[in-house]
Amino acid sequence: MLAPVFTLNLNQKIVPGRVCIGKYDGAHSCLTASTTADKVFIHNSHQRLGVAGGRMSLSQSSAEVSLLNINQTVSAITAGKLTKDRHSDILVVGTPTNVLAYDVQNNSDVFYKDVSDGANAITIGQLGHHSFPLALIGGNCSIHGFDSEGNDPFWTVTGDNVSSLTLADFDGDGENELLVGSEDFEIRVFKQEEILYEMSETEAVTALCPMQGSRFGYALANGTVGVYEKLARWWRIKSKNQAIAIYSYDLDGDGVPELITGWSNGKMDARNDRSGEVVFKDNFPSTIAGIVEGDYRMDGKNQLICCSVDGEIRGYQSSSPESRYSMMDSNIEQETIRELSQRRHNLLLELKNYEENQRMGSSGEILSGKPSTAGDQVGVIPANTQLQTGLAINMGSEDKNIPPHVEIALATTNDTIIRAVIIFAEGIFEGESHVFHPRESALSSNIRVPLYPPKDVPVDLHIKAMVGYKASLHYHVFELTRQLPRFSMYALCTTPVTEPQGYVKFKLTERVARIVMWINSSFLLLDDLQADDEGVLDVSFVSLRSNMPLIVQATPQCEITVRTDNMDLAGDIMQALSNYLNLEDLQVEADFPSELEQLGSVLERVEEYHATRQRLSAEMADHSGVIRTLVVRAEDARLMSDMQSMRHWYGELYNLNKDLISGYKIRCNNHQELLNCLKQVNQTIQKAGRLRTGKSKTAVISACRQAIKNNNVNSLTKIIRTGSA
Amino acid sequence: MELNLTRIDYMQVGLTSSRCLRVIPNSAPKTQQKVVVGDHDGVIQLFTMKRGEVQFGFRAQTEKSITRLELGGAIGTIRDKIFLSSGNEVRGYTKKGKQFLGFDTNLTEEIKSMHISGSDLLVCGDYVYNHYHDCQDSNFYLAADKINDVITLPVERMKYLVPILACEDRLLRVMRDSEVLYSVELPSPPTSLQLFYNDGGENGDKLLYGTSDGKVGLVQLGRGSAMHCWVCESGTTVSSNSTSQHGGVTCMDHHDMTGDGVRDLIVGRDDGSIEVFSYEDGDESEPTLRFSMACSESVTSVQGAIVGNAGYDEIVASTYTGWIFGVTSEPMDRNMTSESGVVLISQDSKHKIQRLRAEIDELQQRVLRERDQYQAATQSAFPGISAVPFFSVNDKLTLNRTDASYLLSLEVQTAIDNVLLQSDVPVDLLDVEKNSAVVSYSTCDSETGNFLLATYRCQANTTRLEVRIRTIEGQYGTLQAYITPRLQPKCCQVRQYRIKPLSLHSRIHNFDPNRPYNTLTLKGQFTLPEIHAWVVFCLPELPERTPAGDQAEFTFVSTFLDTQLQCVYESGEAVFKSDNISTISILKDVLTKEATRKKVRLDISCEVNEESVVHALQLLHPRLEAQLLLAKQVSLIEALRELGSHESDTSFLSVEYQHIIDNADDLQAQYRKQPCHLERLYGMITDLFIDKYKFKGVNVKSRVPQLLEILDNYGSLSIQHLVNFFQAQ
Repeated sequence: MLAPVFTLNLNQKIVPGRVCIGKYDGAHSCLTASTTADKVFIHNSHQRLGVAGGRMSLSQSSAEVSLLNINQTVSAITAGKLTKDRHSDILVVGTPTNVLAYDVQNNSDVFYKDVSDGANAITIGQLGHHSFPLALIGGNCSIHGFDSEGNDPFWTVTGDNVSSLTLADFDGDGENELLVGSEDFEIRVFKQEEILYEMSETEAVTALCPMQGSRFGYALANGTVGVYEKLARWWRIKSKNQAIAIYSYDLDGDGVPELITGWSNGKMDARNDRSGEVVFKDNFPSTIAGIVEGDYRMDGKNQLICCSVDGEIRGYQSSSPESRYSMMDSNIEQETIRELSQRRHNLLLELKNYEENQRMGSSGEILSGKPSTAGDQVGVIPANTQLQTGLAINMGSEDKNIPPHVEIALATTNDTIIRAVIIFAEGIFEGESHVFHPRESALSSNIRVPLYPPKDVPVDLHIKAMVGYKASLHYHVFELTRQLPRFSMYALCTTPVTEPQGYVKFKLTERVARIVMWINSSFLLLDDLQADDEGVLDVSFVSLRSNMPLIVQATPQCEITVRTDNMDLAGDIMQALSNYLNLEDLQVEADFPSELEQLGSVLERVEEYHATRQRLSAEMADHSGVIRTLVVRAEDARLMSDMQSMRHWYGELYNLNKDLISGYKIRCNNHQELLNCLKQVNQTIQKAGRLRTGKSKTAVISACRQAIKNNNVNSLTKIIRTGSA
Repeated sequence: MELNLTRIDYMQVGLTSSRCLRVIPNSAPKTQQKVVVGDHDGVIQLFTMKRGEVQFGFRAQTEKSITRLELGGAIGTIRDKIFLSSGNEVRGYTKKGKQFLGFDTNLTEEIKSMHISGSDLLVCGDYVYNHYHDCQDSNFYLAADKINDVITLPVERMKYLVPILACEDRLLRVMRDSEVLYSVELPSPPTSLQLFYNDGGENGDKLLYGTSDGKVGLVQLGRGSAMHCWVCESGTTVSSNSTSQHGGVTCMDHHDMTGDGVRDLIVGRDDGSIEVFSYEDGDESEPTLRFSMACSESVTSVQGAIVGNAGYDEIVASTYTGWIFGVTSEPMDRNMTSESGVVLISQDSKHKIQRLRAEIDELQQRVLRERDQYQAATQSAFPGISAVPFFSVNDKLTLNRTDASYLLSLEVQTAIDNVLLQSDVPVDLLDVEKNSAVVSYSTCDSETGNFLLATYRCQANTTRLEVRIRTIEGQYGTLQAYITPRLQPKCCQVRQYRIKPLSLHSRIHNFDPNRPYNTLTLKGQFTLPEIHAWVVFCLPELPERTPAGDQAEFTFVSTFLDTQLQCVYESGEAVFKSDNISTISILKDVLTKEATRKKVRLDISCEVNEESVVHALQLLHPRLEAQLLLAKQVSLIEALRELGSHESDTSFLSVEYQHIIDNADDLQAQYRKQPCHLERLYGMITDLFIDKYKFKGVNVKSRVPQLLEILDNYGSLSIQHLVNFFQAQ
């Protein structure tokens, strides 16, 4: 097995996920991580860094560690070459309100910028055709790209809070694309400001790492890690533990990097990029905080460096091709034999089941129709038992307080009952499964399981139904898979509905029949829909969640109008439709009066919050002046042994301090509100983008951005309506 | 010294019961030995290893599954005769495979444990113990609770037969003929017995026992009484993973694995671990852990021997699913990588793998054919049946005294696909560290009567699943596990576990008469079996069988509070005494309900002792204080650490703070280990308060918020404050 080439203990706590490595003097790798009390430590075993002062303070406990005071929660940290002409790395630290680029070698700030959307994830590198490197900051629904001067030549929005970022040459054109994982379970690939691809996952995407070529690894908040090659997922595994960090490194020296994962339970493993098979694993006593790569031994080779939250650091060296087999467990033949024997064992067991089945069937002694209890040692149901399934919409009932929902009807074909149903599906339940287990007295041969999918995504339902007799100890398990269409939570309306005000209008060069086909496949309909004789389509649906109508109309010329007040839904429909029809570019005309009105009021509120913030900051500055005088006076009094005055001044100081704290709380709330508003603005822009496809989409987003920069609300609404200013 | 041992698989047989594998002693030292194993299919086989290949000696078949396999022989000779129990029959084989004994014991129960000493045969069913001398029935005893194991002290040393029964009620019963000479109380139910050093030590009177919660202890059995030597607590020897709990002991053996001339203790556990301990201070103190390995399924037997290769000591072990493997001191890199980087697999193994592959291919074909046939049957209109035999499930629900939670372990003969846990009472599931299954909770709708619906989706090749469960006293019902293995045709089996009203009580044998007790007396037209059934309904760790005699007496202790409960009952009258009024209140409610259901008229009288409430509060006080202190300390850790990172020297801090910094990790681990402990204590106090007044006929629900307020400020108040509140009218 591979052993670490070095181990260190820094005696510093490390915040999980806030670890990076940088060569701040251009030569020596320094491990840098966020530690307790909003500080960042830099470990340099080669030479003493700079001098204390400014942000930097030297650690008392260890000569190799320097500390940086950030004084705000560190939300992301990374290091990289931000200036083209210099070889040294710049440290970039993100906090919920600011981003700081810091030159460690010279102990000076490169830039310090407000980012009102926060900085949840940072990456540094060349993006697209930008000639200089950018520090890309992912915040709440937005992504900024800063250059070394602190300008932001890159800006775009995404569907939800950004939780991970990385750069990779996704389409193989020699330029990097930006991969963004966000809290709405999506991985988006940006080529410049344009979204190239979207991949839906099943949980918030917590980490992304580029591997080789267009391959990348990802990790989700529910403990899943996996590898994509372009749009195809090669493998994924799910653990009950959380993946804290993923990294790509060629540990076994075969020329292909493995996906290295650091887990919350202290496990670290390396998996083959193609199969997901574990090729190496190690155990730390505490949670892994981060995995980086750097030349820590100054021998010209990069080691894989793995850190735990308790400050334990282990470095691993890529093994040379010659010694590569020694990495494998030396018991390879043992394991092969064990695995084969296990398979043989399972086959024999299965065979035994069939033999017993036949023996009992032919003996005719055992009759079905009664529960199998402990004494029987066999579970019997009629051989021709079948499980029938159906998906339907149930409009619920108001007096029983059951909201409308989608239901799966399951029924057996004879007197057997269904004891319980487990449905495994991703993204629509709280966990990964939903169990339906009726009371003993309410068991029957057909049951209906209500489902409430919270999002409009197509879902595979893996159904396991336990079929047998009442009070039985043994059930046959019927397994089957059904697909829930994307828009299953919209019921077809036969009665006329009030027409919603919002709409999207566009013209396609397609036959109406294809639109009809799309509707049939994406909605849950009892009978397939048909356009009428003249080729006119007019269908109304009603949302089971909000009871709001949705109308899709098409003329024979394929001029289509989608009417709904929900801009999100309109976006989903447009994206699904253009995907189905393989549209490359689509401009639309849209109007969502209520949403736009709301946007207006949100923008007004943003103004207000900004004003409040400035006022509060000014107040704080005033206070700090007063504090200074009070301290001086109190200390003077102390020196003069005038205890009464000293008490008085300190009393005043105490009161002032209380004021400051309450002021701070107000600022916090104000800031939180501001963040929410900004998020709403960003989301509206994103929604406006989602109504369009391709170039038109990118154009809308950048035009909106421009309008916001210029504070031009009218032009913003116009852009959202028409697609251009 | 560190032991370096590696696992080598030998073969797989059917499911095995505990201690059904034995190694036959050799006359010459350091030569390869023969292994004999019996399984649930009733097959007994003897094999040796020859250059990595299994060589079968003999093979025989019995009708029922083999439950125990022992070696015997005339006293003073090598014990190489094989005895096995199957159903209620005992058979004897020579090592050549010749059957020399077939003895039907005519016991009413199936044999669960057996011991051979010379021409004495001791067999036990669930409750009966029988002693045969030369196959002549000589002694008989009916135990009050389940017998888990039987052994005798070495006759060579003791000159007469001293049988010892390990019983589920935490007692070792030392027998003399058909009578119990005396009994020894143990901390937990014993599951396995083994003579110290395999021969009972110097005087032949020392006995090791293993318990269901993982303790190993040594007792010295004198003529009239016993002396406890030491108890090796699970966890304390392995400080690094003190948070994880050890599995119950299934088997023990002694063998010199360290090569220092002293035999070491080998322990096999039902959580799949095999451990080697060495006695560093002789028999004086508990041994130290030298080696530990984990396999994923429960270990059913371990024995030290030389099997795989002459000259190398090893541990031969069997697991529940029938794997037989050696854990050997032989270095394993002999046929590994060459310089060219190509894995060299020995010719033998290559053949073995090829043969296996071929066999699997052939099986695969047959399975496919059968599967098609089975599928066809489901489509045909002809009314046939689909009958799938039960798969074996090895399950256990044990109460852990230290943190008052239950551990449910499930083990299946093949890989588990998923397990659905359903409960009709509120219970909490706690995370088990070594459990790799992905858990998912479903929302429970009270209309369907579910309080817990959770699925565990297991990773590939998981045959064993552990779940920790926390129950609430007073809430009772059933927990069900639906286990689905990865086996075609897909089936699932249901296992049911009763959650009893007083689920957190466990059996003890000493009742402290000096506490202030509340008494509940029941009088009515009920028989002893009836009242026993009701008590069994309320309390765990009781035998289902009605105890012999006119009167039954059982004592329990609350694992959470250390309050006691004594039940004394006979036909027509039952008396329950407890120093915790909540216990009495729960019993009263449940028994009344049960009696009403059975339409039995009961006269219930309660005698409430006012002092008992104060007494219970005093028992609670140190726990409450410790928990509050712990919570306070944990909340200070972050801040103190920050101070520490600024200063080179933290000696200026007060002793208390330094203590916190030094033990920060321990404190945090302790805090994590007992989630919601404080809430549980608060719940207990609230119950105590409500129950106290309930017996007076006063409803004090409206005053509970006041009580909680006092508890929230408990750190700054004294216990007297709480007592005063309780005593206010």
